[in-house]
Amino acid sequence: MSTTKNGRTNVREPIKYADALKEATEQLLVSDPRVLVLGLGVPQGTGGVGSLAQIYPNRVLDMPTSEAALTGLAVGASIGGLRPIVFHDRVEFSLLASDQMFTQAAKWRYMFGGNGGSAPVTLRIVVGRQWGNGPQHSQAFYGMFGGVMGLRVVIPSSPYTAKGLLIAAVRADDPVVMLEPRWLYGVKEQVPEELYEVSLNKARIIKKGSDITVVSYGDALFAARQALELIGDTTRVELIDLVSLNPIDHKTISASLKKTRRLLTVDTTSSAFSVGSEVIAKAVQGGVEFMVTPQSLACPDVPCPTSSALSEFWYPTKVNVANAILNILNKPKIDTKLTFEELHMAPTVTL
Amino acid sequence: MAYLKKDMIDFHKAYSHMLRLRVAQEELVKHYLNKKVFSMVHFYIGQEAVATGVCDALKVDDQVMGTHRSHGHYLAKGGSFRMLAAELFGRVTGSAHGKGGSMHQVDRSVNFTGSSPLLGSAVPIATGVAFAQKYLGKPGVVAVFYGDGASEEGVVYETYNLAALRKVPILFVLENNQWSINSPIKNRRSQGYNLEKIATGLGVKYEHADGNDYEDVYTKTVKLVGSIRKGGGPAVLECLVYRHMAHSTPLMEEKHRTGDVLEERLKKDPLKKLKIKIVMSGVLEKKLAKEEENLRQKICTDIAWALEQPYPSKEELYTNVYN
Repeated sequence: MSTTKNGRTNVREPIKYADALKEATEQLLVSDPRVLVLGLGVPQGTGGVGSLAQIYPNRVLDMPTSEAALTGLAVGASIGGLRPIVFHDRVEFSLLASDQMFTQAAKWRYMFGGNGGSAPVTLRIVVGRQWGNGPQHSQAFYGMFGGVMGLRVVIPSSPYTAKGLLIAAVRADDPVVMLEPRWLYGVKEQVPEELYEVSLNKARIIKKGSDITVVSYGDALFAARQALELIGDTTRVELIDLVSLNPIDHKTISASLKKTRRLLTVDTTSSAFSVGSEVIAKAVQGGVEFMVTPQSLACPDVPCPTSSALSEFWYPTKVNVANAILNILNKPKIDTKLTFEELHMAPTVTL
Repeated sequence: MAYLKKDMIDFHKAYSHMLRLRVAQEELVKHYLNKKVFSMVHFYIGQEAVATGVCDALKVDDQVMGTHRSHGHYLAKGGSFRMLAAELFGRVTGSAHGKGGSMHQVDRSVNFTGSSPLLGSAVPIATGVAFAQKYLGKPGVVAVFYGDGASEEGVVYETYNLAALRKVPILFVLENNQWSINSPIKNRRSQGYNLEKIATGLGVKYEHADGNDYEDVYTKTVKLVGSIRKGGGPAVLECLVYRHMAHSTPLMEEKHRTGDVLEERLKKDPLKKLKIKIVMSGVLEKKLAKEEENLRQKICTDIAWALEQPYPSKEELYTNVYN
């Protein structure tokens, strides 16, 4: 259920994360003639907006398999007054355009002292897990993207944030990278029908609590949500969705930590240089008097394997998250056996 | 024919344009050697006929972009020399508030849209600017300058195809000075390398011009841009030029440039060549000398102004990162 500005209540069926992104794209195309979408295979369905090509054949464009050139074209088009949305189906391919993202778009405003305008391009980049994708098709590079000054980097963890963040990203006068965990495309949620924005630089408190702060984002946040269901209401967890990796909303985190003085971070990338490490480092430097040493839960420092027999041990599960929380709170562990589907297949639940 | 009649070129004016680039850089070299320039610098001395020949053939609405060696392109499109000098001295009134330096030239008031020094990177960006121009139904083409080193990067070949696919109104101006930093072209290209075949094979028109010859560059630009304006799609204009100095310092002689002797190449200097032409047509050498003196005076006044400018305040460190 959602409430519109005039107080009317809309009841809509929950929609999938992927469909929320499509809805945002369509509404952006309708509302702003400067918006266009481009990427390999986009009119044929890659990126989930293919059907829009029939309505907007000159604005939903196929591209050659030339990641650097097509990204550069979009960066230039944004400098020239358009609002392009670039779609990269896998983050590994987007890295062929890393110069365009990290060195060109990200620095354009700064390197001309503002006199060269900016490069307000939006990059939708698919990251992370999917069954059987292995070492070269399931990376995320969150830390690397987050470390690029001049880029805004957001990660939608739900259909609601996916739609609102895409709209905010396209409207922002800065280059925005939206890292979309493929794992979440089938997750459903009720989403307002109208155009709305979700702040590009603020963390969101998903659930209020006073015993422990859990900081996460993307598909790791999804695991954390499920962990809370396992634990139940007796444990008062404050769950924070970072939403943005650049900037990280340390203010919201520290306000929470003042209350809880306990911290767990959850990542779905390797522990080394993880976002969790950054959050913990800044919290410690910020002088929080922790009751228990802050803990981070992340993937092992090895590449992600393909076989389910191995990948089972790569990603933190909802049980791992639940037990990490319970451990910090000095409560007994839970022992739940997860099914193959729960471990390896992308979720289709409704939030 | 899209060719302009030869008698329509004002060679005296063209010479003045080229001389402005030469004198401005000669004076900046002095300050570089005096350690007043706090910026990595790539001087454009020797290649002036290309920047002026191309820019003189463009209209005000047309946009220009470049790479690391773009003082000349910026000035030829009408960029303010004062602001360039202030930028090189790291001052707040510089074209990029001192945040960019020599490699980040911009003056959007004259449609010099920006230079970005990662070589081939600027090529797809300029193509995107031209794509936006066409998409928005605005008049004007974009010319992007880059070198022979840049043109060996994959993104440039990718962009040729993409620009042709989308019929983007862009002119790729390849200034071939035959050096990529200190690597000669013979070390870098296969025997069969043929840019004309590559470009045309990707659907892009190709012309070759003598980069030491203003008239050749100008007339070929007029021809190519005429076709681009009519929707004929992108074109490459490759200009053979000579970089008088080292890659990024005002050194005139480098040991590794064997078979590339400065003295020999100076005979083909584009300014010298044009000067002979206008003197033959009746302009007095004395008049030209006086003009050069006045120009140098003005450049020196601008440099003196730039040296008086304040440095950016510490707050500038944190501005213009995001909106």
